[in-house]
Amino acid sequence: MVEATSSRSKRGAPAEGAPEEERADEARSARAVRLARFYQGKVETVPKVPVRSLADFALWYTPGIAAVSRAIESDPEEAFDLTGRGNTIAIVTDGSRVLGLGNIGPRAALPVMEGKALLFKFLGGVDAVPLPIDVASPEALVETVLRIAPAFGGINLEDIASPKCFFVLEELQKRCPIPVWHDDQLGTAAATVAGLLNALALTHRSMREVRTVLLGAGAANLVTARLLVTLGHDPHQLTLVDHKGVLTGEREDLDELMLHNPWKYRLALQTDGGGRSGTLADALAGADVLLAASTPGPHTVRPEWVRSMARDPVVFALANPVPEIWPSAALEAGAAIVATGRSDFPNQVNNSLIFPAVFRGVLDARARSIPDEIVLAAARELAARAEDRGLSAQHLLPTMEESAVFPHIAAAVGTEAVRLGIARRRRTREEFLAMARTTMARAARLAETFARGGLIAPMPDEPAPKET
Amino acid sequence: MTERKESTKRAASTPTEAPTVPIHVRVATEADIPPLVPLLVRLKRLNEEFDPLLKVRSDVEAQAREILRHDLANPRAIVLAAEGVGPDKDRVIGVVRAQVRDRVFYTPELEGVILDIYLLPLYRRRGVGEYLLQEATARLKEKGAGLVTAEFPTQNEIAARFYAKRGFRPITALHARALERA
Repeated sequence: MVEATSSRSKRGAPAEGAPEEERADEARSARAVRLARFYQGKVETVPKVPVRSLADFALWYTPGIAAVSRAIESDPEEAFDLTGRGNTIAIVTDGSRVLGLGNIGPRAALPVMEGKALLFKFLGGVDAVPLPIDVASPEALVETVLRIAPAFGGINLEDIASPKCFFVLEELQKRCPIPVWHDDQLGTAAATVAGLLNALALTHRSMREVRTVLLGAGAANLVTARLLVTLGHDPHQLTLVDHKGVLTGEREDLDELMLHNPWKYRLALQTDGGGRSGTLADALAGADVLLAASTPGPHTVRPEWVRSMARDPVVFALANPVPEIWPSAALEAGAAIVATGRSDFPNQVNNSLIFPAVFRGVLDARARSIPDEIVLAAARELAARAEDRGLSAQHLLPTMEESAVFPHIAAAVGTEAVRLGIARRRRTREEFLAMARTTMARAARLAETFARGGLIAPMPDEPAPKET
Repeated sequence: MTERKESTKRAASTPTEAPTVPIHVRVATEADIPPLVPLLVRLKRLNEEFDPLLKVRSDVEAQAREILRHDLANPRAIVLAAEGVGPDKDRVIGVVRAQVRDRVFYTPELEGVILDIYLLPLYRRRGVGEYLLQEATARLKEKGAGLVTAEFPTQNEIAARFYAKRGFRPITALHARALERA
């Protein structure tokens, strides 16, 4: 999902079949390793203050700095103004579920966290510290994050296995004094909800009347289900399907879920299969919407099942790298709107459109937490911004290229934090918009300046750009 | 947060029902054995989740049938069947097994033991468990019990909280150690 940095050309027609894609993926993988070896990391610490001579260190460091420490000691909130804390977050993982690679551990997770830190800086102007942590239990992970919180203005949890990710996020949201976000739950769910809001508008449906099937009951879909119910979706019209079939309140494994995954258990009771039971095929017959975030396809969802859905069905096939059904196959089977998790098809449902802006917003507002209202404010704003370039079945959401969208989402988030009374810094929407634009523009200029000045080397396997 | 939603859903899912418990409890009969067996098996499989020493036997269904038949013939045993109401009328959705035991050394001399309580998940958290416990307790009292006890796996914290909230406290501990076969 962290694919935003690749600059692959957009393909007009959806690719049918995989071989060509696979070859392209292999070439890209090899190149990623070569470039990683060349650059040895994707972010670094850079001074932010002038150092004219060593005498200046008497201000930036001891003895002058003692006064700054004393100021924070007497008012801890001052840390957000007197240090970089107000713009710095930690990207925390235990490496237990990294991308599609599984439990590869904290060491191997580092390159992914570095990539995420780059996205945070590049897209949101947020200083993010990659922080994989070697822990054996979810409780230890929670304790560790609580102990490092004094250095940060926010925490981004990343690539933690389900269902322990629910426990970790819930505990930290309760106990941590700064905003905590788990991107695989909240970011993906927010982008999915944004896409769905627009898909429903395009097919003239209301959230209150649709029947939705969620395929996959992992981090993203459990949160998506919760958000949909908050938005007025009838829980009895929601059908969750996992590898064992429709999740009803009667299923044999429910007691096991009660003990090991209470989040999924509660949704099973709340939705009770949306009145269905059996298999995915049974669930899809007559459904309006399929939100698939399950196992890579392309044959996880069959065209005949899409054909059995209601008129103008909406199909989100979000598995990476291969969607549960190829977009061309879904469209041919009658889908009115198709979205995937990939940038080379139209309608990418992408959490990269959400997380940098959400953190920009909560940091600018000095928010204390990130409740669901904030997640929904970000989703609504992302959906609304699709109209800037004309909302259509092929342009369901803004793309990564539409970077003007980010400050708007940040401003929506900041404004919502003020409305909820969780903002330490209260500003108007226009002020939040201006703040976000300034910080994001500075980050872009920084990267540009470094590249132009030769401090960031050009890619060694590409011809140097010509001077104009 | 999810808790809050849970309660809204409860209200929404049972709009036509009175605020009373949405079940009907009665003494089980021979005809109830087929629907009671899977409930008892579900409970034993739940217990299995708590401790490897509670690993369920492969003939658990036959055993459940046998023990229920035995209970129904035993005047000191109680088997209650809970039925749903409305569309679930006549459908067995919960079970209680209990029995009266002698206390040879202590007083009160008769003890009513709750051996098994199980409710299908969709019927939980609406005061139904509480109601089942009351019904069972009343019947144990009728049979002369001077105190009521409950057996459940030590690791089952949900059950421990359920009983603690209703005034139960641990009085005897059962500790186990597996033995190697000779």
